Amino acid sequence: MFKFALKNMGVKKVQIILIVISIIISASVGVLAFNVSNQVSEGITTNASYYSVIVGPAGSKTQLAMNTMYFTDDPLGTIPYSVVNELERDSRVQENGVIPYAMADSYNGSKIVGTTSAFLNGKTVAQGTLFTDGEICQAVIGSRVAKNNNLKIGDTFKTEHVGMGAHDSNMEIEVVGILEESFSAFDSIIFTQLQTLWAVHEHGEDGDGAPNDDINHGHVTEESGSHENDNHENESHEGEDEHEHSSLEGMVCAILVKTKTPNGAMELVTEYTKTVNYDGHVYSLQAIEPMEQVREVLNDADNTKYIVYVLCGVILIMNIIVISIITLLNMYHSSKEISLMRLIGISMKKINLLYIIQNSIIGLFSTLVAFGVSRICLLFMGDYVASMGAVLNLGRVYPLEIIILVGIFLISVIPTVICTFVMAKRDSLAE
Amino acid sequence: MISIKNLSKKFKNETAIDYKDITFESGKSYVLLGASGCGKSTLLNMIAGILSPEKGEITIDGQNMCALSQKEKDLFRIKKIGYIFQDFKLITDMTVMDNINILKLEGVDTSRADDILASLDILDKKNKKVKNLSGGERQRVAIARAIVKSPEIILADEPTGNLNFTIGEAVIRQLTNIAKGKTLIAVTHDDRLCKYFDHVIDMNDMTGGRYDV
Repeated sequence: MFKFALKNMGVKKVQIILIVISIIISASVGVLAFNVSNQVSEGITTNASYYSVIVGPAGSKTQLAMNTMYFTDDPLGTIPYSVVNELERDSRVQENGVIPYAMADSYNGSKIVGTTSAFLNGKTVAQGTLFTDGEICQAVIGSRVAKNNNLKIGDTFKTEHVGMGAHDSNMEIEVVGILEESFSAFDSIIFTQLQTLWAVHEHGEDGDGAPNDDINHGHVTEESGSHENDNHENESHEGEDEHEHSSLEGMVCAILVKTKTPNGAMELVTEYTKTVNYDGHVYSLQAIEPMEQVREVLNDADNTKYIVYVLCGVILIMNIIVISIITLLNMYHSSKEISLMRLIGISMKKINLLYIIQNSIIGLFSTLVAFGVSRICLLFMGDYVASMGAVLNLGRVYPLEIIILVGIFLISVIPTVICTFVMAKRDSLAE
Repeated sequence: MISIKNLSKKFKNETAIDYKDITFESGKSYVLLGASGCGKSTLLNMIAGILSPEKGEITIDGQNMCALSQKEKDLFRIKKIGYIFQDFKLITDMTVMDNINILKLEGVDTSRADDILASLDILDKKNKKVKNLSGGERQRVAIARAIVKSPEIILADEPTGNLNFTIGEAVIRQLTNIAKGKTLIAVTHDDRLCKYFDHVIDMNDMTGGRYDV
């Protein structure tokens, strides 16, 4: 029966190819849209609740939250490290609950974050150890960075400065740890001590005299942020040849804060929307609650998700219609063949079974290929989605994806079952 | 033995065809002669269980066919009857062997196919698509499919209808040869082929009489 079904399918190549293409398109689009939207949402929410408050330069709240938690976009600018000291002394803040954050430079396209080891709390180091606070030029790298650059423990690399007068730093940073793959933005980032970033910049300046003073002067990168820290931006540092403050008195892009109580967080948000004077300059600060920002982003994403779902639904319905019409036409064209089989003595039951097997083969093959196509698309979308702060896991399969595939498989078989049932009822030999 | 009693068949908007009682003895070959519309093919179809009569009885080896359900008639046809259709009823996009192996769907043993195709001089065509065969070759494929299951009864509806006389005569010679010892009932309008059959039945006058050749 199975062998004959395959042979019979070979006779109707064109119709079958049309059905297969229709099923593959509808199934892969449905599965892909669902998978991507869910993985992106999950990636975004994974770390959102970890910190109570983020303090950073005034400007876009969303940009501050997304850059600090998901490493997307560029930092808004810089604020003095003295704010870190101020927050550490605040009684509403948890002990060791203040984490400085700076983003500058890159290595082969992977962004470099300067922070403390506490920033990586909760992350599993798959190989090596976390970098040591107080030392410099050590890095813990994300799994994707290690894989893409073939970096191992003990390897060293030099950062690429992308600011004005772009050049490679002369300082070598040693890989001391590789994070376990977490399918989050952490997989694509290099983490080092904050002091390393400061030293790299100072070293670069000393080494070749290039004006790469971005991080110390409020520009993390050339394209750095919207430069909304206008007060700071407008104050020119031209003519300053030397920085008098020590490395710990440098600048940071943001400060992540864990408060003892939610109330404390709310108070900090109000209090830290202010200006501070540092080194003769005025810096405008803002404080945000990251969860609130993520909720806003997700609400926007949800609206987009619904539009995607509606479009997918339309594509699915169109394909159901196309699949049904092609199947019905196929069955109609097979009516001569069916009556022939009936005349030579093949029972209607066997004929029905034959066509159901045929369409099951088509449906199964098409849905499996559609699943493969969706994974290939995920692979190609990986880099784009990574830039949004999430890493797509090709192995992540949601139950609803299986339901979509099974549903489309059934859609490809049901018209045949209905047709054969109707034909069995109208069996000319039985009339 | 096939016996027909008081048989009558009526199609929509047509007058009924009433058949005289006829008996076909086992192991003999019969040819039904008659003009178009006299009910030759209808009789074959009723014997095969494809059509049901309005009244009367068709008894095959003691089994009243009219009392069987369609499912039982199908089973009877696939097991005991080899039917050769006028227009061959072959799936033209499939090969000769596929057309024979289609019977495997009902559990028919087709292991004799090669021998039968050889006896019909078309063994070399077994893997060719039917659409690429000539009319005579197609008729031989239809014969091969009908007899591969060693049926007790072979029904042939105008087996030479689409062939010229020379080829048609060769096909009839092969058919009667291969059907020796079985009950063969063939329908034809060409009385030149009657000599190859044991008995000729003239359906025109619906007498049901039997005439030795």
